[in-house]
Amino acid sequence: MIQVIDVTKRYGQHIAVDHINFTVDKGEILGFLGPNGAGKTTTMNIITGYISATEGSVKVDGFDILEEPEEVKKRIGYMPEFPPLYMDMTVQEYLDFVSDIKKIDRAAKKRSMEKIMDLVKIGDVRKRLIKNLSKGYKQRVGLAQALIGAPPVLILDEPTVGLDPKQIIEIRSLIKELGKEHTIILSSHILPEVSAVCGRVIIINKGKIVASDTPENLSKRLSGTGRLSLRVAGPEKQVLKLIRELEGVKDAEVQGVKEPGTVDILVEAEKDIDIRRPLFYALSRAEYPILYMRSVDLTLEEIFLQVTTEEREVS
Amino acid sequence: MLAVFKRELKAYFASPTGYIFMGFFLLICGIFFAFSNLFTASPEYISVLSSITFVFLIVVPILTMRLMSEESRQKTDQLLLTSPLSVAGIVLGKYFAAVAVFLFTLLITCLYPVILSFFGTIAVWEIVGGYIGFFLLGAAFISIGLFISSLTDNQVIAAVVTFGALLFIWILDWIIQGIPTDRISGIVFACVLVVGVAALVYFTTRNIYVSVVIAAIGFGIIAGVYFTNQYFFDGFIVRTLEWFSLLKRYENFMMGILSLSPIVYYITFSAVFLFLTVRVIEKRRWS
Repeated sequence: MIQVIDVTKRYGQHIAVDHINFTVDKGEILGFLGPNGAGKTTTMNIITGYISATEGSVKVDGFDILEEPEEVKKRIGYMPEFPPLYMDMTVQEYLDFVSDIKKIDRAAKKRSMEKIMDLVKIGDVRKRLIKNLSKGYKQRVGLAQALIGAPPVLILDEPTVGLDPKQIIEIRSLIKELGKEHTIILSSHILPEVSAVCGRVIIINKGKIVASDTPENLSKRLSGTGRLSLRVAGPEKQVLKLIRELEGVKDAEVQGVKEPGTVDILVEAEKDIDIRRPLFYALSRAEYPILYMRSVDLTLEEIFLQVTTEEREVS
Repeated sequence: MLAVFKRELKAYFASPTGYIFMGFFLLICGIFFAFSNLFTASPEYISVLSSITFVFLIVVPILTMRLMSEESRQKTDQLLLTSPLSVAGIVLGKYFAAVAVFLFTLLITCLYPVILSFFGTIAVWEIVGGYIGFFLLGAAFISIGLFISSLTDNQVIAAVVTFGALLFIWILDWIIQGIPTDRISGIVFACVLVVGVAALVYFTTRNIYVSVVIAAIGFGIIAGVYFTNQYFFDGFIVRTLEWFSLLKRYENFMMGILSLSPIVYYITFSAVFLFLTVRVIEKRRWS
């Protein structure tokens, strides 16, 4: 459905996107993950034809964005990071305007408008000025705008940023729902969000693709170095010594004391070794009860660090 | 295009902009009408149209400052540019919306000659011609304002620069009078023009060979013209600057002459600036 071939974008000396290649199949939800300034938005802007690539080409449904921009743009609904809303219009006026510029005929407009408003739940604010809406509603109007005309491809740039947790869950389930009918590219800098919604994830850093896989494979690959956070009742020194001497433990450090008589410890295991059981038996034999033990998820920064160093090792 | 046109037209009257424009324009026009026609009991209406042209300096920036700059500030250009609309369609829609507000305001002032006609005879066709000229002049100024608005995402800067540009056109005829008309300065000016064009090409394409070739061709033409017809460079600067003198052509309309060439001139002038606006927007997407 979408082919991105060797796309590069330079701003003077600065390379924002560096020879990116990927394809998105019909009906797929692709997650675009990366820290701020990684080139996510630039790539999306290129796919939608808002800016042009310095090199490379983008094809949507077989149409090249430079040769037949109109055909491509008809097929894409784009929700940029900052929803492009006219503050001086009401929601209804705005959505009418969007259907006009997308050249949707009257009958089709009438049919789809109610459906879209229901879907993103903005029916109750349709008469209000966009200026006066809350951030969450503005975001939803931005999403509604992208859905108008039922484009086969949806490109959503950080659709949940600035929303409260309840709204985030709503938008996520909405995106999942939309994924049944649309091909979606979604960007985010939050890993759980992407893994909750997307079938495939592309991690991009400094303009380059550093990893591309399903969220499951990615987390499997990344959970190689298991890290555990423990709270153990016992004297700090002995507990630490015991854990460090255990086979398969790479490192252990004290994180502080939050409960009197106990100690919080962060344990890092060797690659591909599950140390939870040996840890439990060793500590129970020594009669230092484990009050809790949980695995520590990698933060996004750590994932990047890991993925980028992995790449270096490979090359 | 029609959708953009309708939206812009609505936006003028959803904010104070449209009302300020109309109010100010009609106020100035009314004052001049009162002083030169009503109080003096004169049917000479065309003089009102020629003396209120200065009002463009103030009202055109009001009308055009928002057009493109606000789109890029609010990021709504992302919506327009990723929609199936062409850039030319967007620019034309906006231009015609501004021109429509201006035309509508101008039509209201048509009441003044109608009022006059009740009390005496007025030169109907002279006034119609005057209105056509006035409208074309305003439309040309609006195209300049639209162009400047596409260069910045700050409304205030757009307004101030537009005011400056219109002021320059305003005093152009006065500047022209003080400019040397001898042959040497004409040649120097032609050379500066060639260098300027070559530099512009270099800065947009970063291709030194193309710009050198353009400069060489330019100098070749200058030399060729010099050896075939030296008199061409007499008053060359003045002739070049006069090309930009919108007001000089307007004088014809005020004298009751309605000829085709100034009409074509004004329409071409507007078209050039609309084209430049399209180029600026396209270029921003490439850089």
